[in-house]
Amino acid sequence: MKSKKNNRIIGNIIIYALLILLALMMLVPFLWMISASLKFNKDVFVIPFEWIPKAPRWQNYIDIWTKIPLAKFTLNTAKLTLIVTLLQLLTSSFAAYAFAKLEFKGRNILFLAYVATIAVPWQVYMVPQFMFMRSLGLADTHLAIIILQAFSAFGVFLMRQFYEGIPDSLCEAARIDGMSEYEIYAKIMLPLSKPALSTLIIFTFVNTWNDFLGPLIYLTTESKKTLQIGLKMFISQYSAEYGLIMAASVLSLIPVFIVFISLQKYFVAGITTGAVKG
Amino acid sequence: MAAELTAMEKNMKRRQRKRNMVAYSFIAPNFIGFAVFTLGPIILALLMSFAEWDGSNAMKFVGLSNFTQIFADDRFTSALKNTIIYSIFTVPITLVMALALAILLNQKIKGKSFFRTVAFFPYVASLVAVAAVWNMLFTPAKGGIVNQFIMNVLHGQPLKWAASSSTVMLTIIMFSVWKNMGYYMVIYLAGLQGISEDLYEAASLDGANAWQKFQHITVPQLKPTTFFVTIMLTINCFKVYDIVYMLAGGSNGVVNKSAIVLVYYIYEEAFRNWKLGRASASALVLFAIVLVVTLIQFRGEKNYAND
Amino acid sequence: MKKRILSSLLAMTLVVASITGCGAAAEQAPAADTAQTETQAQPEAAPAETTEAAAETAETTSDEPVTLKWALWDVSSTVYYQPLIDAYTAAHPNVTIEMVDLGSTDYSTVLGTQLSGAGSDFDVVTIKDVPGYVSLVNKGVLEPLNDRIAADGVDLSLYNGVTDQVTIDGNLYELPFRSDIWVLFYNKDIFDKAGVDYPTNDMTWEEYDKLARSVTDTTPGAEVYGSHYHTWRSTIQLDGILDGKHTIVDGEYDFTKPYYEMVLNQQKDGVCMDYATLKTQGLHYSAAFAQGNVATMNMGSWFIATLIQKIKDGEYTDCTNWGIVKYPHADGVEAGSTLSTITALAVPTSAPNKDAAWDFVKFVSGAEGAEVMASTGNIPAMTNKTIVDIIASMDGFPTDDASKEALITSHTYLEMPANDKSSEIETVLNEQHDLIMNEEVSVDDAIAAMNEGVQAVLAQ
Repeated sequence: MKSKKNNRIIGNIIIYALLILLALMMLVPFLWMISASLKFNKDVFVIPFEWIPKAPRWQNYIDIWTKIPLAKFTLNTAKLTLIVTLLQLLTSSFAAYAFAKLEFKGRNILFLAYVATIAVPWQVYMVPQFMFMRSLGLADTHLAIIILQAFSAFGVFLMRQFYEGIPDSLCEAARIDGMSEYEIYAKIMLPLSKPALSTLIIFTFVNTWNDFLGPLIYLTTESKKTLQIGLKMFISQYSAEYGLIMAASVLSLIPVFIVFISLQKYFVAGITTGAVKG
Repeated sequence: MAAELTAMEKNMKRRQRKRNMVAYSFIAPNFIGFAVFTLGPIILALLMSFAEWDGSNAMKFVGLSNFTQIFADDRFTSALKNTIIYSIFTVPITLVMALALAILLNQKIKGKSFFRTVAFFPYVASLVAVAAVWNMLFTPAKGGIVNQFIMNVLHGQPLKWAASSSTVMLTIIMFSVWKNMGYYMVIYLAGLQGISEDLYEAASLDGANAWQKFQHITVPQLKPTTFFVTIMLTINCFKVYDIVYMLAGGSNGVVNKSAIVLVYYIYEEAFRNWKLGRASASALVLFAIVLVVTLIQFRGEKNYAND
Repeated sequence: MKKRILSSLLAMTLVVASITGCGAAAEQAPAADTAQTETQAQPEAAPAETTEAAAETAETTSDEPVTLKWALWDVSSTVYYQPLIDAYTAAHPNVTIEMVDLGSTDYSTVLGTQLSGAGSDFDVVTIKDVPGYVSLVNKGVLEPLNDRIAADGVDLSLYNGVTDQVTIDGNLYELPFRSDIWVLFYNKDIFDKAGVDYPTNDMTWEEYDKLARSVTDTTPGAEVYGSHYHTWRSTIQLDGILDGKHTIVDGEYDFTKPYYEMVLNQQKDGVCMDYATLKTQGLHYSAAFAQGNVATMNMGSWFIATLIQKIKDGEYTDCTNWGIVKYPHADGVEAGSTLSTITALAVPTSAPNKDAAWDFVKFVSGAEGAEVMASTGNIPAMTNKTIVDIIASMDGFPTDDASKEALITSHTYLEMPANDKSSEIETVLNEQHDLIMNEEVSVDDAIAAMNEGVQAVLAQ
């Protein structure tokens, strides 16, 4: 009995040691960012790297707001991210239900079309897509970015895989009870897929928040530009202000963390035993 | 009898049609947007691989000449080779690391949410920062931490890592696993929540040990997730671009044959040389490979479904 | 239940409606349409006009308001855009110029995409580099300017021969307004401390090598580097074309050998920083020079403005005492032969207001524009003694005579002359440069590979 307890303590120590080591490894880039954000550009890439700057430049955190319209960019990005995430969530979880739980003509081929397109690099169809969007009058609009991001195949694929893991028997039982497919989706599937929905929100949020090339090609008016374009504005032809870039990057990570931390708590047993038994 | 059958058939058909319509109504909101704005341009782009086009002058149909041209270009063949090598190593290593991490962080431990966030960090952190830290460890200089370790502990020769053609792919693979495993960990973490606690309890009553539980419950239950992770990993590995640009391109952004990957080649052809036809042809090759891998995976998934 | 579906549907329509609202697509479309019809109408009229007629219409239409859309990069950090616009609009009050910043990092990609097809509404585009220029010319999206140049009597000889190097098949598609030359920057404090004479405006490469070595200190932790070469191939490879006998698009590169050998030896002896480390570390040349342990650095004159600004801001504290001299030269070649890069303006074929656009291009690239450029501390493409005086009298510019003298050139060679295959040639040369500097391939083998690779590209 006692040795078992000892074993567990030793096991715990190993696990925590491992975790702390891992955490350190993962955190170093973040510490680098913070350290770099408090430096002059000329000192950022100098080796040996000075982890704690002797004369920290807090001024960087003020300069980023005045050198470029960062507040406006952040607002634009936030707007785009919210709309895209919302649309992505609604439409993909909806479509995924059909792919996972309904039998219909052309299911496999349609699904394959979704997945296969993920494999085509954007660089290849960027030009025809841009010309098409421009012919619709969508060049230099936020709507273009929303359309590009909101209907991606990724979300459908992700949600479909999670629905696959939910036993079919649940749906069958509901059908026998006379529930329509829409009701099954809304009342059974959605509540059960909180971990998956959280994952999708996190990924869509991060992707849209960090998207660079899309906004760069489409948005040419200053007041419509996004955060990531703003970050690149600190890299000019003849010099790059990495101190400022890192200051803005550190700040731009805050929303990402808030989203992640607030959603990761849904990564707890989603399918309760009760649901399966019922 | 015959009339009855046709009536039944008709009835079934009608029900099938109704079922189809319901299913299509689920798909439509996403599919319409997807088909018009993504699928359409993609099909156009893939057709472009049989044409010569610079984005402005008239498109000219040239048959297979783009393909013969790219396969004669040793930058393309190097890119193809490098991409395949990169994927073969990165996919399984990332998969195993992500799963291990997810299982570890699914235990009842203190500070779970902190550790989860930290593990996700390299994925969201600025690539410049992650690469800078990496280059501090794996610097080609003798004074680098890893080179010091190799020389003093392993008594080996210092390596030039990203600066040498023989070790650049190795460096990129390690970097990629480190940066991306947190991302796939999140997917696995979500997948793990779908496994019913009852299964583990029942197994415990039968006297199963941890490894047996992992083997007979966790792995099979995670199959749909693994299917997703494998396909996404494969696709993302074949589409790798920015990591290579960052690590191997250095400050002048020149990627050599030893490190060039397909998407970088595509970028070069499309936006430096404005040969969109050749870029599309290269993309079609990439597409074909990924499609084959995906179809094999699909087979595997179907077999599982039939079990 | 039905109520719920209904309300969620309603919510969705609201979302959709709000999106379409924020896109402002409806407002945009008509503007683009009118722009297009104008484009189509203009080419027919333009060729018929003679010089005087063109001048006349310019005057008669001067009350008609025109808005020119100008594609460029780095609006916030470039000091001359606004002064140029102000100077032009002062003389042409009917013209409004709208700057569109496409960012510097991916400028050529974005511009190329924007100009794809015929729907672009840019009137004036800035051309960043020669490969980007060539690809746009190949795409057929830039107006040939020969007729307009001839009609308006623009004197191309004032550009010191640079325009010849960007003429493609007898046609010129851009007019340069900014030109940067390569010089040797040096840190006077290091030379003072070592008790070595400053570099001079007339140095051969051998003298330069000797000088760099004489101030080098390889003591670990207190290194002083006699020279610094940024990772670009231009810093070494192109030194060879300054004798005027070779170009970088010939397909024959044996002339680069002595320069590679000189730098490789310096690298081996710790005179300059190791290429492999520099490349992976991503150290910018400005940061390297700012550390105060780099004695000399060959770099373009664009660095002058950065240095002055950063010293003024208090960021650079270890290189405040700097100077420039002319680029070193090969034996028997006149001092003042150097590399140059140009920044130019062009008019897209799809431009809605071509005549007005050309007038603006002519102004910016011409004598008036040159003075504005010089007053902001940048070297205009149309340069002469007065322009050099203006720049050298700028606050923060080194006060010694040699530094001022250094800005006067005898021959300038473009880093990359216009060639159909510019970007493909660059790929080959960059790769071999990297292999040489990483010491993975011998100089001879790499040169053989360059010869073979570029000849294959040229034969295509």
